[in-house]
Amino acid sequence: MSFLSIENVSKHFGSLIAVDGVSMNVERGELRAVIGPNGAGKTTFFNLITGMLSLTKGRVTLDGQDLAGIDPSKRVSLGMARTFQITEIFPDLTVRENIRIPVEIQAGLRMSPRMPKAMEAPIRQRIEQLLEEGGLTKIAGRLAGELSHGDQRATEIMMSLALKPRLLLLDEPTAGMGDDETYAVARLIRRIHQEEKMTIVLIEHDMRVVFNLADRITVLAEGRPLAEGTPQEITQNATVQAAYLGGEA
Amino acid sequence: MTQLILFNVMNGLIIGAFYALMAIGLSLIMSLSDVINFAHGGFLAVGAYLAYSLAPYIGFWGGLLVAPVLTAILGLIVEKFLISRVYGRDPLYSLLLTFGLAFIFEDGTRYIWGAQSLPYQVPGWLMSPLSSSFFFLTGYRMLMIVLIVAVVAGLFVIMTRTRLGLRIRAGTLDLETVSILGVNVRILRNLNFGIGIYLAGLAGVLAAGQLGLQPTIGDSLIMPSFIAIIIGGLGSLTGTLLGGLLIGVAQGITTVFFPSASEAVMYVMMALVLLVRPQGLLGEEGRF
Amino acid sequence: MENFDLKKQTPNLIVMALLVTLPLWINYVSYTQLGTQVVVMGLAAMALNFLLGYTGVLSFGHAAYFGLGAYGAAMTIRYIEPSTGLGVIVGTLAGMLAAMLIGPMIVRLRGVYFAMVTIAFGQVFYFIAFRWNTVTGGDDGLTGWKRMPLDFGFAKLDIQRDPTTFYYFVLVIFVIAVAIMGLLLRSPFGRTLIAIRENERRTRFMGINVNLHIWMSWVISCTFMALAGSMSALLNNFVDPRAFFWRQSGVFVIMCVMGGMRSFWGPMMGAAIYVWLQDYLSSATPNWQSFVGLVFVVVVLFFPRGVMGIIRRKATE
Repeated sequence: MSFLSIENVSKHFGSLIAVDGVSMNVERGELRAVIGPNGAGKTTFFNLITGMLSLTKGRVTLDGQDLAGIDPSKRVSLGMARTFQITEIFPDLTVRENIRIPVEIQAGLRMSPRMPKAMEAPIRQRIEQLLEEGGLTKIAGRLAGELSHGDQRATEIMMSLALKPRLLLLDEPTAGMGDDETYAVARLIRRIHQEEKMTIVLIEHDMRVVFNLADRITVLAEGRPLAEGTPQEITQNATVQAAYLGGEA
Repeated sequence: MTQLILFNVMNGLIIGAFYALMAIGLSLIMSLSDVINFAHGGFLAVGAYLAYSLAPYIGFWGGLLVAPVLTAILGLIVEKFLISRVYGRDPLYSLLLTFGLAFIFEDGTRYIWGAQSLPYQVPGWLMSPLSSSFFFLTGYRMLMIVLIVAVVAGLFVIMTRTRLGLRIRAGTLDLETVSILGVNVRILRNLNFGIGIYLAGLAGVLAAGQLGLQPTIGDSLIMPSFIAIIIGGLGSLTGTLLGGLLIGVAQGITTVFFPSASEAVMYVMMALVLLVRPQGLLGEEGRF
Repeated sequence: MENFDLKKQTPNLIVMALLVTLPLWINYVSYTQLGTQVVVMGLAAMALNFLLGYTGVLSFGHAAYFGLGAYGAAMTIRYIEPSTGLGVIVGTLAGMLAAMLIGPMIVRLRGVYFAMVTIAFGQVFYFIAFRWNTVTGGDDGLTGWKRMPLDFGFAKLDIQRDPTTFYYFVLVIFVIAVAIMGLLLRSPFGRTLIAIRENERRTRFMGINVNLHIWMSWVISCTFMALAGSMSALLNNFVDPRAFFWRQSGVFVIMCVMGGMRSFWGPMMGAAIYVWLQDYLSSATPNWQSFVGLVFVVVVLFFPRGVMGIIRRKATE
């Protein structure tokens, strides 16, 4: 069985069918992009994976474990971390504190009324390492709420990585960014994928990012799966061309 | 015994109707503006005292008609110059603001009308029982019930039939969209606040005839009103009405068997609702 | 905890120096009991701010736990054992227990709804104190008891008659309580609370059980609130139901806001200003309540960040 296996999931809101029978299998170490026109149900699909919404039908398993009925906060301990379309960070704390919190949580200190002496050094080391990897060292002392869009996104991604996830879900990581910022964030994602062998699923609008980064692409349209394949296969797929890429590319 | 229970159920219904009148006003304001109006009891007292001061000139019926309107106008002014300034900020600030106003209102009424309780004259024929076997059914009580029913029914008509009501209801669901559609949200919130305060003023005049006048007259009514909202469900006017009547009747019945627990019973009901159905009896999930 | 950093410790040192020397200079501006009152209310405001300012949860019902502490202490000394120490312990535990039980019913709620439910629950205790007058003294309050001298076996401390000794007793309790809260806020646990204040959704998606953490923060906050309440009972040798009344909850909140919610010592400063102002106003005018209300309005409209917020902004300019 695949690392992340999604079997025939559906989500109905009353009579509205937002996601209709989508299956997707993501292998360990793969970078999968989910694309589709607006209203294709991408974010709903994402929320079904992370447990923010409950499934109407179907099954989601991570590394063989069925996720049915598991609360989003518990899915994190199973190795699932995510970012949001609108960046979710701690605006009134510094970047370093933003990173420190998930590092401490990951180290099992969420309930600790004091910092164990033995863990101080390794935790500080890990924070600096994450700041470095995210290119955030220079701005580590600034308040996260005052950063540029791109730096906030990088902070959010590094906060997710601090949890040492096995699967990273990124919801439109470059949404609303200029070219330079998009490039920087895409490079960061590529590095995480290649150097840390992270399994990543991302929703993305920017096709340059998608075709540059993704190992495989899943195309959704009106809540249904339209096609799946390598970037090359997708560009050559006539249905996708007609339904989606034709208008834009 | 049956008569005693009946008497207390009746009593409970009347008190419950008061709670509901207060609570519906509070709930309107809370749903549209995210403000808990702690000064609601203060407005109620103002309505009562205004009716008292006006009665010598325009009589009981005139006071009943005019005092709530004047209170509502005071509400419109307070909203426009004070409360509207904290919209969009942390709800903490609106709570503190109305809290401060509650202090000022209570002290202000005491300053103007004095701390001692005053009698409020109701036409004599209203005070006599309608029949000897139902000695507790005075004309005044009937009047209160009829008036409250009429006002609440009127409010429901406004909320479901008029453009203002539809906009208020739409605004409680999604204020941003309503403002994009070209509705002036400032005015909407102002009028909505005025409606809420009108109900408080009316409750004040009616309560004055029943309980007499005291600067703290609103205090005994505001906490049950909060509980009526919690039990009925925030955002549901029907729920709030139901919540108010329920705790009124529960209080009435408890008075028969265990009088010292008559206040405690509504807190027990609130705890039960929060445990079993935290959104309230008729509230929708995810509304709070 | 980092190594001793003089710059970071400066505010702590200033506050401590002021409080330790208070009995020496207080008589020039006021009197010792008022100083004790400031410390008691400061502890209460800081306890509330643990939840309000550092966890971002809008509680308007904290007077209930203050009152439980006060009645717990008073009733223990009056009915069970004339021992100050036991009274304080029972009062504090009573507040903690009530918070633990009420907590699960409210931690799912947020924002104004949380505020409304906490204030409503607070009133339960007001009515109990009011109605159960054979035990609580009802509206007249509970009299017929006094704080007792402390007896450590090897030494006795007369906190009963000497106001300065009693002041230092309260100050020691205050310092211990505040130190515990301060250390908790700087711990990994404290940082998860601040994370909840900053962004609940993000915190949840870091695997934190947000409701459980809010419950813990609530219990800690209410426990220290009860401790402050028991001190207040000892200070006055008297308790009455007004300690529970919902107006009092609002007063605690305005202390936090007036001093500055985002600053550790802010609520203490707010408490000092409020206590002094109320003392002054209530002796100057019978309409002091209106002025207190006016203070609320002015703070909300013109000084929403409080004194410490203003100082901090001036410092960064």
